[in-house]
Amino acid sequence: MTDMKKIVIITILVSLVSLLAYKTQADTNLPLVLDILSSKDLNGIAGDFVTVQAQITNISKQPITDITTYLSLVDNENKLPVDLEDWSAEKGLFIGTIEPNQVFPLNWKIHFVKAGIYSLVIVATSPASETPQVSRITHFKVSPKHNLNPAKVLPVALGVPIILLFIMGAINYRRQREEDRQI
Amino acid sequence: MIKQLWLKEIRAELYTWKSTLWLLIASLLFSFTSYLLLTNKELSLLDQTELLWLLGKIIIGVAFLIIAIDASSTITTEFEQETAESLFLSPISLKDFIVGKFLASLTLWAMIFIIAIPYIIVASSGSNLALPFLVYTAILGTLGIAGLITIIFGISLLYRSAKNTLTTALVILLAFSIPALFSSTLKTNTVADFFSRINPIDNIFSSLDNVLVDYQTSLLQNVKYLLPLLIFCIVGWVFLVSAAKRFKKEGVIKND
Repeated sequence: MTDMKKIVIITILVSLVSLLAYKTQADTNLPLVLDILSSKDLNGIAGDFVTVQAQITNISKQPITDITTYLSLVDNENKLPVDLEDWSAEKGLFIGTIEPNQVFPLNWKIHFVKAGIYSLVIVATSPASETPQVSRITHFKVSPKHNLNPAKVLPVALGVPIILLFIMGAINYRRQREEDRQI
Repeated sequence: MIKQLWLKEIRAELYTWKSTLWLLIASLLFSFTSYLLLTNKELSLLDQTELLWLLGKIIIGVAFLIIAIDASSTITTEFEQETAESLFLSPISLKDFIVGKFLASLTLWAMIFIIAIPYIIVASSGSNLALPFLVYTAILGTLGIAGLITIIFGISLLYRSAKNTLTTALVILLAFSIPALFSSTLKTNTVADFFSRINPIDNIFSSLDNVLVDYQTSLLQNVKYLLPLLIFCIVGWVFLVSAAKRFKKEGVIKND
């Protein structure tokens, strides 16, 4: 056997092994596709609400059970994951069974709690696979909001105690007059 | 008879400088808080919903404190000033006496709530949260305060002393308030979680958080907070009824 033939055979064998290894790895992945339908970049002011719209599709020929989908939010400025408390009332969505080629809509109402730059992904896990499925990243840019409102609060902050003082004075005056009459 | 007692009590409560001064102090606290939240540059960075939640906690906290002090003295004063004897010699049942006083204390809560309305409206401006904030403050406050009043009245009937009743009421209030201010990370163990679920103040704050911060405004979405408050009211009534059964009208006047 010539060297050339040896090289060709080895190349073919290595290719076959690589393909087999790739296929084995692919089989362990969940046959689910997570598509984010809403915009890739969502901007707003602290306090705003946005909806992240997504869908999950079973691309296999078998039903998949016990799928848990959840959000993962990262603060890009502080390089830390964010506790979703207050950001979303629904932390995760559980899907009992998803039939072959079935599409489930996933909508998350997100509350921009704090100013900053964030990255959000949707993760889907199932006991059927060791590897979760992850969506593409949605970027949040949240601007700070100043709730400065002295023009509206000042009349109330001053007015209510003044009205109460006036009422107190009127009650006291009336009581004094009643006492004087009794004397 | 209940109505007469209620009106008499309101007149005694609100026809004096002392009682209306409390309302003025409450309004000054609300004024200070809302002005600070809406004009201080650092605090104004808080999300509006967080700001409303903070204001809601202050309204409920101030109301609980005022009602606890007022309810501690409303029954015991009758014993200490020796007016209970003449009241019980008249055709007034103990039930009428208690219900009349109970309604008077609830009226004081209603007045504090009325004073808080302009602050709630101005702080909620532009958020569509004014109505849920008002409705839930009214519901949660009424349930929590009704339960607190019944417990304090029960203690009043057992102690017959304003000082002891007030001390016990303030200790109970502190016992409920301090854990309610803990962050959720401190409530992860079973005991803390259980206490958090039965603590009326914790349930009020959590429900306000649910409504104002998470926009979960329907009653169904807040039933897990409202139910413990209802149970708190029922437990309070049961305690009050058992204290009233143990209460003896004789011996009201001191033998000295």
